Amino acid sequence: MKGIFSVEVENKAGVLSHVSGLFARRGFNIDSLAVGETEDKDISNMTIISSGDERVMEQIEKQLNKKIDVIKVRRFSESKVVTRELLMIKVTYTNATRADIMQICSITGAHIVDLAPKSMVIELTAKTKKVDRFIKLMQPFGIVQIARTGAVAIQREID
Amino acid sequence: MMTGAEVLVRCLEAEGIDKVFGYPGVTVCPLFDAIYDSDIRLILVRQEQNGGHMASGCARVLKKPSVCIATSGPGATNLITALGTAYADSIPIVAITGQVSTDLMGRDVFQEADITGSAEPFVKYSYVVRDAKDLPRIIKEAFHIASTGRQGPVLIDLPIDIQQAKIEYKPAGPVNIRGYKPTVKGNSLQIKKVIDTLKKAKKPLICVGGGTILGDAEAEVRLFAELHGIPVVSTMMGIGVMPTSSPLYLGMLGENGKPYANYAVSECDVFMLVGARVANRAVVRPYRLERRDTAIIHIDVDPAEIGKNLGTTIPLVGDVKIIFSKLLEFSFESDYSEWNYDLTIRKAAYTDKRTYNPEYVDPRLFVRTLSEKMEDDAIYLADVGENQLWSAENYVMKSGRFMTSGGFGTMGYSLPAALGVRAAFPDRQVVAVCGDGSFQMSLMELATMQQWDLPVKIVIMRNGYLGLVREYQHRSYKDRYIGVKLDGSPDFEKLAAAYGIDYFYLRDNSQMDERIDSFLKSPGAAIMVCEVYPYDSVKE
Repeated sequence: MKGIFSVEVENKAGVLSHVSGLFARRGFNIDSLAVGETEDKDISNMTIISSGDERVMEQIEKQLNKKIDVIKVRRFSESKVVTRELLMIKVTYTNATRADIMQICSITGAHIVDLAPKSMVIELTAKTKKVDRFIKLMQPFGIVQIARTGAVAIQREID
Repeated sequence: MMTGAEVLVRCLEAEGIDKVFGYPGVTVCPLFDAIYDSDIRLILVRQEQNGGHMASGCARVLKKPSVCIATSGPGATNLITALGTAYADSIPIVAITGQVSTDLMGRDVFQEADITGSAEPFVKYSYVVRDAKDLPRIIKEAFHIASTGRQGPVLIDLPIDIQQAKIEYKPAGPVNIRGYKPTVKGNSLQIKKVIDTLKKAKKPLICVGGGTILGDAEAEVRLFAELHGIPVVSTMMGIGVMPTSSPLYLGMLGENGKPYANYAVSECDVFMLVGARVANRAVVRPYRLERRDTAIIHIDVDPAEIGKNLGTTIPLVGDVKIIFSKLLEFSFESDYSEWNYDLTIRKAAYTDKRTYNPEYVDPRLFVRTLSEKMEDDAIYLADVGENQLWSAENYVMKSGRFMTSGGFGTMGYSLPAALGVRAAFPDRQVVAVCGDGSFQMSLMELATMQQWDLPVKIVIMRNGYLGLVREYQHRSYKDRYIGVKLDGSPDFEKLAAAYGIDYFYLRDNSQMDERIDSFLKSPGAAIMVCEVYPYDSVKE
């Protein structure tokens, strides 16, 4: 199973390494990890996606809570949360392939953000699975470089 | 205006610190200089790791944080084993390390070490002080964190320029850390469930761990067990919660425990863990308990320990003392006499099948005799190895304390920890029992003992081997002994004389009583060597 953790931490030096060190030491998986500031500049938010059985997820939650620099841990199930990930991908093109690439972009909602004579940079914000699929679609054209953020998550309002 | 170092000393005094265990170096010189003008007693140790163990011994008997100090670089890294030892056994120490000047940090200058990074897995929390004005808050928080919730070591890394900075001293306000609010009270619904479960139980069993002692809850737990007639087993760290004379007490469980204690674990219908972690020595096969429908009650102040290695029926997070005070408020009819009868029979029927070479000292008899002869409130420190298992098995608990490095199993712990105990209680009888291996891991601290007048009694069980590993090589490697023979050890009598320490010797069981009497009654520090047969096994 997957666990999605949204973790509020003190925005101080060393906190990221404490949290990632905790995962490494205890053998917890990190599928993805994204960190950013929140509306309060003293607090950062980490979105950590991990996989393992229920016991592991419970331990992750407890061990995170035990860290003194961790202010709040929220654990989400996949259905109750909106996740997105940003992909930046550089692909090569020729006159023959340009139109195909642009068509895929328009179907998938990706944007071309930089165009050079032989390559272009495409941006896509989507769920992780969709990002994976998009990368597969780009493979035949020739991928030069990929950068992706890992997923960030926020809970849905349930009525 | 005061210097950062002077402010630090003030803050330590405000925390009630009147002694520190330390070793100097350039980067802690401003702090040492500030201690010069204070009433704090600086106990110079001989190696930083032992300074950490001394603070540990001191903290365990005072039941509040103690302080050790080391310089930057190698001084700081030497502390790591002591921090790991304290972390594994949840002992509140505040370690202060010197650090190079803030403008040089990160440049790999002389004696620079990233100590907060290196020690991260072994501390409850750590600070690098980057502004001297933060010192009062940091010191207050450090003592608070070390001594509340699940206790543990806190590290403060202190660059030299912060110690020298001139600041106005303003005492810190109340501690408020938004990410740290330990649960202590215990959920009343869960407490009620515990009572309901015990009402229905036929064969309940309490397992006490070190958390019972750390939580200062020995009396409450003992009373609860006695009131309802619930038998008790103990982890190594929980030894001392129950007096040996109690008919309810079955001794230590687990890999090195008694068969009847393990029988009780495998037969009980309610297993109540009290401040015990479920690592892998006491509860050896947790899945077996899970498979049977044993109700597992786990009481611990650290929620992360509950359900970590053993599935739990009733988790109960909180301070053991508070929870047992609440449990004691409930009165209920309980009759576990059949269960107790069964256990008593098994305990009585137990025969020790191990044999001991009569030409040497029988270590079981020795530990029993020694601990019986010790003063009632004396403190017994066992080191690590065969000596530890003989001690744990045979120590007679009256009203003193049994202390050892349980979680980390740090050899060389007993002597420095004993000195720390003695520094806390100058009038108490303190006995450290080690092997000839573990003794040699910290024997340099004999000088600390002499310099600072901290006389303790030291027993060396000499068998010329690293015995527990030898036993392991005997069992698992067909006697292919390697790296376990201690040839080259010094003549301990001459060593004692070199340090000016009284020396006693026990060749075999004859004269054991008289020798132990005179050893314990000798006025100052004393070393006693017991000859133990190298090929006797502690494992049953």
